Amino acid sequence: MSKQGRIRTQQLREAQRIAQAQQARRRRLVTAVGAVVILGLVAAIVFAVVSTVTGDDDGPQAASGDVVAPANIDPSGSFAVGQDDAPVTVEIYYDYMCPACGAFEAANSGELDRLVADGTARIELRPISFLDEQSRGTRYSTRAANAFATVVHGAPEQAWAFHTALYENQPDEGTEGLSDDEIAAIARDAGVPDDVVERFGEGTYEPWTASVTQKAFDSGIQGTPTVVVDGEQFQGDVYTVGPLTEAIESAAASQ
Amino acid sequence: MTGELGTDEELAEGSRLHRLRHSRATVWVTMLVASVASLVASFVLSIDALRLAEDPSADLGCNINAVISCGTVANSWQSSLLGFPNAFLGLITEPVVITLAVASLAGIRFPRWFMLAAQVVYTVGLAFAYWLFYEAMFDIGALCPWCLLVTLATTLVFFEMTYVNIRDANLYLPRRVQAGLVAMVRSNLDLVLVVAWILVLVLAVVLKYGEALFA
Repeated sequence: MSKQGRIRTQQLREAQRIAQAQQARRRRLVTAVGAVVILGLVAAIVFAVVSTVTGDDDGPQAASGDVVAPANIDPSGSFAVGQDDAPVTVEIYYDYMCPACGAFEAANSGELDRLVADGTARIELRPISFLDEQSRGTRYSTRAANAFATVVHGAPEQAWAFHTALYENQPDEGTEGLSDDEIAAIARDAGVPDDVVERFGEGTYEPWTASVTQKAFDSGIQGTPTVVVDGEQFQGDVYTVGPLTEAIESAAASQ
Repeated sequence: MTGELGTDEELAEGSRLHRLRHSRATVWVTMLVASVASLVASFVLSIDALRLAEDPSADLGCNINAVISCGTVANSWQSSLLGFPNAFLGLITEPVVITLAVASLAGIRFPRWFMLAAQVVYTVGLAFAYWLFYEAMFDIGALCPWCLLVTLATTLVFFEMTYVNIRDANLYLPRRVQAGLVAMVRSNLDLVLVVAWILVLVLAVVLKYGEALFA
């Protein structure tokens, strides 16, 4: 190898060493900064988990403020439709956003109307709101349940009609739901007086809605619609006309 | 002289952990495990989709305790964007990735154009997986654990595939871009980015659904 060649090789190796040192330095920097970022994220995750576990149980959708129960509703959170001395009691747990509840109403509301009218059944409506996540931040479940409670308080005679109308106009799950104005229009059509409709916007019963929802969870309700006939959960098909009617009528006959 | 260069190179290769991360086996085994996980998840989701098709009311009730409510991801239009359940796409594509990973472990080198095609197709798959993740998080408002597994596994496969294609210069990039990407990979910036990214996703899920998951 010529002298020039040796110098060249040395230069090349020198350049290589410098490049490698640079590489190592860059790697150390990335490792250090990366470790800080990653540890920060892990800490944030742990913090988020811990604060949800130790936080209050009301959930993010829980409205703040004092729980004000509407009149005409029993302390456990049910609104009765029909005669007190009807032989069969049918409790219905539902959420105004829940499409399965809409399917239940579409199949059974006519039959329930008839059974209430002829004095066979007394319905206990138990609105809950756990699907607020499904309305793109507008908390439709809670707004609708609050409107229902307001009607129960101020115009109980129209509550059942309003309830039925809300399901007839049920929005698709995952949409923004009905606006406050649309809910108000449905209430007026169902015969709810204006002075009652005007109070929807106050959200008076939102904390109450959250509290009965929590009570329903605590009592072991697993989902909606949950239909309870004379204290026993109805396990049959609630999405077609017939099975529930039969169960109610046979319960009435056996008394 | 060669010996000397060798040690220099080893020094440049860095710590054991660093070498392990860049070893051939780690890269392909990671891709293999992730693609198998993705295949299993797709399989479960496909069976669920068939069950739902048989009996649409099977999952009609709105479950309170799971974040998965009646608006189950499976019943949304997003879950069968192309007219059939998305999970079928996983059944079709993941075996290709599995084959690619196993063949590469066995020492086969695929042509550049083949790896480029794999990169392009998998990038489309990644975009699709993230669109679904976004829709599930913010529009459907429900999470399905198997879908999350697909999101995670797809991310890992994409990460390793991109790593390989940068390392082997398979992407037909301009020299400067290629050199920059190689430097990024050598400094482990890519690994830091992907780990941070996955942690960001975990954080997002915890922040949005932590209440339902842990409370």
